[in-house]
Parts: sequence; structure tokens; C-alpha cells
Amino acid sequence: MTQRPAFVPWFVLPSVLTALGLMVAMLTVLQYSIRAHIPGSLDVGGYTLDNFQDLYKSIYINAFVTTAWLSIKTAFFGLLLSYPLAYALVRTRSGWMKSTILIIAITPLFLGEVVRTYSWIIVLGNSGFINSALLAIGLIDKPLQLMFTQTGVVLALVHVTMPIMVLMLATGLSHIDPAYRRAATSLGAGPVRAFLTITLPLSLPGIVASLTTAFAWTFSAFATPQLIGGGKVSTVATLVYQLGFSSLNFPFAAALSIVGLILTVLLLAAFKWMTHSLQRVGAH
Amino acid sequence: MLRKTIALSLLSASLIATNANAADKLIVSTWGGSFKDLIDKAIGQEFTKQTGVEVEYVTGGTIDRLNKAKLAGSAESDVTFTTSHVGWLYTNDGLFEKLDMSRIPNASHLVDQARLSPSHIGVWGYVYTIGYRPDMVPEGITFDSWNDLWSPELEGMIAFPDWDPSHIIAVSAKLSGTDAEHWEQGQDKLKALVPNIKAFYTNDANSQQLIATGETSVQLLLSMNAYHMMDEGVDIKLAMPKEGAVLGVDAMGINKGTEQADLAYQFMNIALSPEVQANIARINRGSPVVDNAKVDPEIAKLPGMLTTADQWGATLDTDARLRAEKTAEWRKWFSENIMAH
Repeated sequence: MTQRPAFVPWFVLPSVLTALGLMVAMLTVLQYSIRAHIPGSLDVGGYTLDNFQDLYKSIYINAFVTTAWLSIKTAFFGLLLSYPLAYALVRTRSGWMKSTILIIAITPLFLGEVVRTYSWIIVLGNSGFINSALLAIGLIDKPLQLMFTQTGVVLALVHVTMPIMVLMLATGLSHIDPAYRRAATSLGAGPVRAFLTITLPLSLPGIVASLTTAFAWTFSAFATPQLIGGGKVSTVATLVYQLGFSSLNFPFAAALSIVGLILTVLLLAAFKWMTHSLQRVGAH
Repeated sequence: MLRKTIALSLLSASLIATNANAADKLIVSTWGGSFKDLIDKAIGQEFTKQTGVEVEYVTGGTIDRLNKAKLAGSAESDVTFTTSHVGWLYTNDGLFEKLDMSRIPNASHLVDQARLSPSHIGVWGYVYTIGYRPDMVPEGITFDSWNDLWSPELEGMIAFPDWDPSHIIAVSAKLSGTDAEHWEQGQDKLKALVPNIKAFYTNDANSQQLIATGETSVQLLLSMNAYHMMDEGVDIKLAMPKEGAVLGVDAMGINKGTEQADLAYQFMNIALSPEVQANIARINRGSPVVDNAKVDPEIAKLPGMLTTADQWGATLDTDARLRAEKTAEWRKWFSENIMAH
């Protein structure tokens, strides 16, 4: 019989305490969602379900749809940009190249989300880098409106999520035994066919994991939609902020948060169900 | 070994906590950035000079600090700076001490608009008005009246703060022949402004960046922020509509349960001294809230500076208590009917 090392409970303890803390926080939010708002006070009143009644209004339904749509687009475009980087990171034999790719990929992680977002405001603005470059080469004759649009928000969110997607994809790719690809090549498969029939299917678990993470991360993103969206791109997180922190209507903001959380769980469950067969393909 | 480590850690933590609560400093809760710098330069340094007591600042957003004060249960700061209407939330929730005005002699010169509640008083005034980039608005546009914001020529050009719609709600009510208390009569007027709105800014820094880059060339702008940006070289003009600019008063109160009440009263009294008030006007163009401050005439004549009773009286002044009570209702309506479009 194997003896469990004595330090294991100490290692697990922080996780348990963190989970308990999160659980208490979530129960508090749940409790707030069924309490009445008292105008002019931070205190809450008696128990009520009124906070959930307004959520059928188009502004809140649109916010849920916008959030889901932004998350899907961010995960998809994030994957398109991150996969080649992760692939190059794993495949390259040059240490210099590997370091360069790694630095490019993970440097954004060292900047806060707010700093990165403020930088994007400069890039996406009417006189920002993108518009100036397009105007200079004559592709457009007036600046494109990128700020305060979903396009601008997705661009910035892709940048925010890319580092973590690259790392997850690279981990998945590095676990693929190179012998499989060599076997395919020795049997006459070209590089494209070897990639499509060997590497891509075997990297599906990494793809699914990175898509799931990017989706969940984007669903709860706040600073980027708030600052780049400029109030014109309403998401669940920005509405919770506006209604909770600006209006001091914490019960209504809590109700919105609870519904947002349920929706996230349902969407992630649906995504897991849809990708279940893909993950089995990638099992090796 | 483990027990020793834990014991040592607890001992160190308690020593640090003891030091943090030492009696030789005053803890002031305030906003960060230029407002914290203003408080330190104009009030904090003068307080230290006069009392020998250091001031420590804890900074954060208006609502974040309110929430922290509510959740903490005990005073984590001694003096709090906040807005006039959020000061009412501190007051209503019992987070401020009731002020003994006899211990703030300089408060006898307070203007009426800065006598806010039994627990909080004004520290400087400002206005929210139309700020614009003269080189980026259509030629011939003037802002003599708030009605000019509704001009079709300004389609997709204006930004408003996203955290507090009370200013534009008060303006719409005024233009509809009523006041903020009967704001519903101004709803249609406000809805008609939607085509001209380009964005909503999240905080002062965001406001400054959007107008400095020209992303939004017209803003409903806090006068002190406008002057701060002008000092940084941004070409901004402040308009003074004939109906009056929207008055704002920032306030201070003493946190309930503070052990530094004497120092807190001294701090507030120094903040209201005529010299410090004149300094606030000089440093950040905050209007003095006492009637005996001697403001440099060159500063006093700037748009948005309030140095006479007539100037204070000509502003659109929404009662701070009404704002505190209506904030949630106004904000929700604004989200659903203005921001959603």
C-alpha cells in the first residue's frame, strides 16, 4: 500500500480555502440577487424576485447575445492567430527563434489588462496606428471607426487571450509524439497531409481546451469591452458594473451576474458536448 | 518548526498592523491621480507643516471606497474625500461621524451650496460643462446654450460620463422647463440627443484620453479635468451655456469610529482656510467653497471658476440628497434608453 506523503494536506489546503472563499462570495451574490434595493442606501431590503423581472428587456437580452458572440469570435480568431505561433514554438529547432516566439507570445501577460486596453485605444483610434497606416497607403480615404465597435473590442480581446491560448496549444502540440509524423512522412505523406491527418487531429484536445478557456475568459472580460466599447458595446460584465457600481443597485446587478453565470455554464456545457467526439479523436 | 514559522509570521504581521495604526499619522481616503496630488499639495503638506503629523493616503474610485468603508465595519481611514451625493450615502449608512462644526471654525465661511449634510461638507467646487476641441468641431458651432449639443452637425461626436447621468438629466429637465426632481419631463429631450452621442467614458483618465486624442471632440467635461489637460498642452475650450453649467461639489467627512477625530477636525479646518482654498484654485482650478478666499484674479476669471455668490447661484445645482436617492433610477433608465441605442 502506498503511503500518502505528510505534506500533501498542506499543499491542498490553499486550494480548499480559496474554493471555500469563492463559494462564500458566490452565495453572497446569490443572496443579494433576491433582496430589494433601497434607493439612497447601500443596505438591502427584504426578499424579493423583482430583480429578475426586468431581465427580459431587450437591453439585457442583447447584452447576453453580444457577450456570447464576442466570446465566440474572440476564441475563433484567437485560435487562428495562436495556433501557427504555438506550432512554430514547438517545431522550431533554433533556440533563438524559440525564445523570440516565446517572448512575443507571453510578453502581453506581463502587462495588465487595463494597460493593454489603453494601448489599443491609441492603436484603434481615428488617428491611431491602423487608420494612419491605411490612410498613408491610400487604402481608405477617411478613418475606419474601430473604437466603440464590436470589431475593436474583438481585436483587443484576441490580443488579451492570445498568450494563454499559445501556451495551451504549445503544451498540447509538444505532447504529440514526433514518431507519428515521421511515420506518415515515410509512407509518402507530404507536409500538408501529415499536418492535416496527424498533427491537427492529435492537437484537438489542446485546441478544445484553449477555445474553452478563451471563451470563458472573454465572457467575463470587463476592462476591454468597457474601455474600447465606450458604452456602445454592452456586455454582461459592463452592465453589472454600470448597474452595480455606478447605480449602487447591487441587488439588480447581482441578479444579472447570476443569470450571466448560469448562461456561461450552459454554453460551456454545450461546447463540451459538441467537442466531446473531437477530443476522443485527439486522445493518443 | 512549522509552529515557530507561523508564530513568527503572526508576530511580524501584528507588528506591521501596530505600526499602521500608530497615532502619529492621519489616514485620508481619496481618489488617485491629480486629485490625490492636489489634496497632498494643497492640504496634506500644510497639515503636516502645522501639526507635524504625516498624512497617509489610501486611494480608489468613489464607489470602491464607499463599498470598502461599508464592508470594513470599522474606520480604515480617518478622513474621506468623496462627491457630494455619495457623501449622503456615507451619511445615510452611518459611515460618517456627525460633525461638530464648532471644531471647524473656517466652515463658518462656507457657501450655502457646500453645506451638504450634518456629516459632510464641501471642500471645492467645479462645474460639469461642455468641453470641446475647437479645431475638431464643425466651423461656426458655438455652445452658448445647452441646446447646441442637440445640433445635427454634432452627430456622433459627443461623449458623456458612463457612471453618472445626473448632469445631462438635469440639463434635459431644465431645457424642458422643469428641474431634476421632475426629470421625467425631460426624457424625450434626452432621447433626441442619442444620434449625437459617440461614446461614454468610464473615468477621468478615459475622458482625458478620448478628448486628447480627438476620439470624442465634444464632451460633458469636469472643469478641473479640462484645466488639467490644458496645462498638459491639449487644445480644449470650456463653454459656459446661458442656462448655467452643472454644479459639482466634492466633499469631506470624518469616518465613523476614527481614533484620530482631533486631527481629522484640524485637517478639515486647514482644508477650509482661505489660503489653502486659494491654493486649490491655483493648483487645479477648484473653486473655493468659502467666501473669504483670495483667488488670483487671472484664475478667478476663467470659465467655470466660482468665486462670487452670483456665480454659485447661476449654476444648475441638483440637490445632493436627491441625486443620492435617484442615482439608481436615473442610471438604470439611462442604460436602458440612452446607452442601449
